[in-house]
Amino acid sequence: MRVKVRPMACTGCALCELACGFHWDEAFSLISSSVMLYRAEEKKDYMGVIVKTDEDLFIGRPEGAAAMKLGEILKQGTGGGASAKPILIREACDLCESAGMEPQCVAICPHQALYLE
Amino acid sequence: MDFMYYGDTLVVDLETGKTQTREFTEVDEEGPGLAAGLALYEEFSDAEPLVVGSGLLTGTTVPAACMGFVVGRSPLTGEPAVAPLSLFAGAEVKLSGFAMVVIKGVSPRPVYLWLHDGVADLLDASDLTGLDTWQTTDRIRREMGEALVQVISIGPAGEAGSSLASYSINYWGSGDTAALGAVMGAKKLKAIAVRGLGMLDADDPPEFYRAALEMISRSPAELGLGRVCAALEAGDVATWLEPLVHRYRSCFACPSACSTFVKYREPPDVLGTDGVEEPGMLVTSPAAAAWLRGGGWDAEPACRAMEAMARQGVDMMRGARELAGKPLAGESEIIDAVKGLTGSMDAGWPSSDRAYPGLFGPWVPPLASQEEWDAANRLGYVLGICPTFIMTSGLDAAELFALCPPAAGVELDAEAIAGMVP
Repeated sequence: MRVKVRPMACTGCALCELACGFHWDEAFSLISSSVMLYRAEEKKDYMGVIVKTDEDLFIGRPEGAAAMKLGEILKQGTGGGASAKPILIREACDLCESAGMEPQCVAICPHQALYLE
Repeated sequence: MDFMYYGDTLVVDLETGKTQTREFTEVDEEGPGLAAGLALYEEFSDAEPLVVGSGLLTGTTVPAACMGFVVGRSPLTGEPAVAPLSLFAGAEVKLSGFAMVVIKGVSPRPVYLWLHDGVADLLDASDLTGLDTWQTTDRIRREMGEALVQVISIGPAGEAGSSLASYSINYWGSGDTAALGAVMGAKKLKAIAVRGLGMLDADDPPEFYRAALEMISRSPAELGLGRVCAALEAGDVATWLEPLVHRYRSCFACPSACSTFVKYREPPDVLGTDGVEEPGMLVTSPAAAAWLRGGGWDAEPACRAMEAMARQGVDMMRGARELAGKPLAGESEIIDAVKGLTGSMDAGWPSSDRAYPGLFGPWVPPLASQEEWDAANRLGYVLGICPTFIMTSGLDAAELFALCPPAAGVELDAEAIAGMVP
């Protein structure tokens, strides 16, 4: 079971980032989430969602969604901007099990762009 | 207040180039959000300040908690006016390390203000002078090496002091209908760049989060301009735009994606990044789209006109009203027409009947009565919730008030807010 992304259903509201960050810190920020909204190519409206696990990143790009091993990611970089805390040093998604909740990114997404499978 | 704000009040003196911080006491003395912003505006009114801030709940998981604001004296009315900071700008201001920012005086040279991590720098903007807002945003992001910096900037219209001037947010229209872009121009303040990497604490985090999540689950999660335009009785703008639609976009934390990204320099269904650099634009102003559609424009040239207005830093609502009934088709003539809108403040541009008196900009009668409009804006700018979302979503103000104790240990109601904001 993991969190997956329907990238074209995402509207870029960042509620998933906020909810995940709240799960880790009990506070609101955009830097501690296991989910990261990729929004660095604004003029092209190129936007996606990345979910970090212990083993890989599930990357939802507009062209499609797939998991990539961390080793492959290290070669390519993850984007997100220089001041975005790189997703590789963030906590890995634990499906919110440590808080005894359903995955909060899935629960809060208004457009079902994130789902469990 | 120990919760929901992060950092102090920043006072920027453009005349001397100096900045200083002080404790953010206004939130306890006057109230959060716009209440504090107006108090700071009054305190520094001799120096014609612009006050940049955010609401109590901005930056949290409350539905549509995206809203920041700019307060300044509108050149259109000579009175204080509020303009919105939507998209991601309000939330990034909230997380920038400054609770409120006062920008006073006039700079002797072009500058821009860079806010991040509780650090404020006034930087030289001589080489940004004359650039449009797209060029300015690109240049600042390149200088910072950071594509996520939010850039609140003016274009040639603001530099010229046009009464149609409006600041843009990154590349897109902002909803500044009070010509605060012209105030930025008069101050030689080309832009405010902000990045928010801070963290907001709540008084009772689990209860606050639970209640906000429950509100999100009941909020409308609609796509496009349809709901807003229906509320405005503005016609079927959504169908008119449909052939150009690439994707729908939300402001920060908003379940409804009111903004529409349209592509007209490549097919709208192109998904990758290999195409043209500037394929289209984000339609953020339903009023502008409605004015142009109603004024006989085809959707594609209308979107090009809205892009040109965003680039020039022209208020889309009033600019579109000027362009309505004069539909154009060619890109160069559209750009020329929009550039023609950016005259000086005294050049006979929208006169008093086109200026919108009052603190909150243009009242749109089909959307709400004047009283409802003022109440929704007061509530929205004090709490940091998009007023349009409040007016069109059925959001119950009592539910928002119920969030205030777990958020920040404060009790608020409509009467209290009406007392804070005239």
